[in-house]
Amino acid sequence: MSSLALANLPAWLVGRRTLGCAALAAMIVLPFFANPYWLFVGNTLLIYVILTTGLNLLVGFAGQLAFANAAMFGIGAYGTGLTQVDFGFPFWLAAPCGMFLAAGFGTVLAFPALRLSGLYLGLATLAFAQIAQWVFMHWEAVTFGAGGFKVPPVSFAPLPVSNEIGLYCLTLLIAVVVVLLAANIVRSRLGRAFVAIRDGAVAAESIGIDLLRYKALAFGLSGLTAGIAGALYSGLLNFVAPESFDLFQMMLQKAMIVVGGLGSIAGSVIGATLLTLVLEALRGVKSWQEIAFGALLLGFVILIPNGLADFLRRRVPGWREPLIHPALSGDADDAIAEPVPAPIPAALQGGTLAPGSLAPTSAALEGAARQ
Amino acid sequence: MLAYLILSGITTGALYALIALGITILFKAAGTVNFAHGELFMMGGFLAYTFVTLLGLPYLLALALAIAGAFVFGIITDRIAFRPLIGSRALGVVLATVGFAFILRGTARILWGGKGDYLSLPPLFAPDPIIWGPLIILPQQLVVIGGTAIVLALFAAFFRLTRLGKMMQATADNAKAARLVGIRIEHIYTLAFGIGAAVAAISAVLMAPLTLLYTDMGFALFVKGFAAAALGGLKSLPGAVIGGLLVGLIESLAAGYIASSFLDISAFVVIMVVLIFCPSGLLGGPAARRV
Repeated sequence: MSSLALANLPAWLVGRRTLGCAALAAMIVLPFFANPYWLFVGNTLLIYVILTTGLNLLVGFAGQLAFANAAMFGIGAYGTGLTQVDFGFPFWLAAPCGMFLAAGFGTVLAFPALRLSGLYLGLATLAFAQIAQWVFMHWEAVTFGAGGFKVPPVSFAPLPVSNEIGLYCLTLLIAVVVVLLAANIVRSRLGRAFVAIRDGAVAAESIGIDLLRYKALAFGLSGLTAGIAGALYSGLLNFVAPESFDLFQMMLQKAMIVVGGLGSIAGSVIGATLLTLVLEALRGVKSWQEIAFGALLLGFVILIPNGLADFLRRRVPGWREPLIHPALSGDADDAIAEPVPAPIPAALQGGTLAPGSLAPTSAALEGAARQ
Repeated sequence: MLAYLILSGITTGALYALIALGITILFKAAGTVNFAHGELFMMGGFLAYTFVTLLGLPYLLALALAIAGAFVFGIITDRIAFRPLIGSRALGVVLATVGFAFILRGTARILWGGKGDYLSLPPLFAPDPIIWGPLIILPQQLVVIGGTAIVLALFAAFFRLTRLGKMMQATADNAKAARLVGIRIEHIYTLAFGIGAAVAAISAVLMAPLTLLYTDMGFALFVKGFAAAALGGLKSLPGAVIGGLLVGLIESLAAGYIASSFLDISAFVVIMVVLIFCPSGLLGGPAARRV
């Protein structure tokens, strides 16, 4: 792949930051050219950037197999919408309510996460997501039930912009802040602690990482970003209904971070962009949307398990993303039963020991250390 | 009222038990959960519908074909979404099977969607309800309970009496040691995927006359089956059966005595509470604390 044209360009021209700035510039000028439809797509895309950046902190960096992000997204949207409708709060006051509500629920979810790991945590958060969805649907006195409810449009009254452009600019601003914050978090003590927990909870605790505190922070941060995204989403649609926060939504966000790259902030942005555009192109044909989405998810997990960000990091000389870690491959506590060494010589097959299986893996050593 | 609720609870519980059984067999053998299990269930139901209603094959032959078809789909799941990922993290397998689930669901929507959203499968026996005191029993309910009992008995025999069953148990017990004594554990994984899917298809065929078939049915049933399997500790076949019956009974009683809308949610409340207090399920033995 060294013949790739990009590789011959000077590093500063195709560096991660240069490309990021170019993308940002494109998003800034979009409102000047775009028709309302593309403005809407751009706004949706930015909301997904916010969502996936937060989710990647939790799943990609802290390694928690959680399925509750769509529920947090919903809690943010419902919190924002309902405080506007029921108490007459303006958006500026309602949005933080939704945000902190989602962050609160997110933090509470860290408590089961302290006792559960891997698939059991997945199941518990899945159950939480189903319960949240059920509450949105059936607590009709408060949430208006399955039909959803209308939210007043967000007004930017003193400023000379329309509601749509104002909301777009606000979303863009928040997305940039969230991405920059997340990029700094993963380089800080906090981000390193997340990665340490992901790669071995016992080892992390033994070097003094307080699991409760950091897991709560990971869940809380992803809840907070999902809450912000939910608040903006309720403003974008002017409508909140339970089906926006269902399992498809959850899997969509998961797929975005896998396609972009688990454990990479740039990857979240890339994945959110790619999948939003693909789904938008297939809008209206649900079956093909599902197939395309499933095939992307499956294909990336198997063929490019560390996502497009890792692919770029290898191919583009100026990419140099700090602390990008392969989150899917490699030894871990929860590795699938038996790593089978790829090429087993024919003479050794069928009963005799495969080469390499005597070499202790780090997981095995850790198991031994635990006993 | 109570007797009726218990009967319907046991009927749905039997189906959850079969779904949980498939999940447990795979988890025991390969240490992972197939998130496409619900979609394999759905495919089994739609295959049966195709053979019985669209092609007009004899009922039992159609059922056998549907179950064989689901077995093949299970093997495809293994080849596409599991085998390339052996040795990588659990998260990878979960996401790969989720991706495969969406492919199956989209395909089913193309093939069987648009013929009215809900398709019906005729029951094995004519629906002539049996009235026994205050209780009205649908024959299909008895078929479900009886069919589940037969499947469970077959599995018990399979694991105790056959060479293949013992090989599966050995792999579940210790994959490394099983390979040392010459068991091709990859084949055991493949078999576990296939058997899980076949059991899912059996439960789909048993259930379809009572509920109806629709392309989005898979995931909710998978989550309930997963909850049932986790209640039983994910590693115990009797545990999966008990977990399934418990989930069915809890749902039915909550729907009858609290409010009908609680049908969908009671199982999830129970599983959250159970997981918080017993992180490895009710029958999972002492928790291996992985702080």
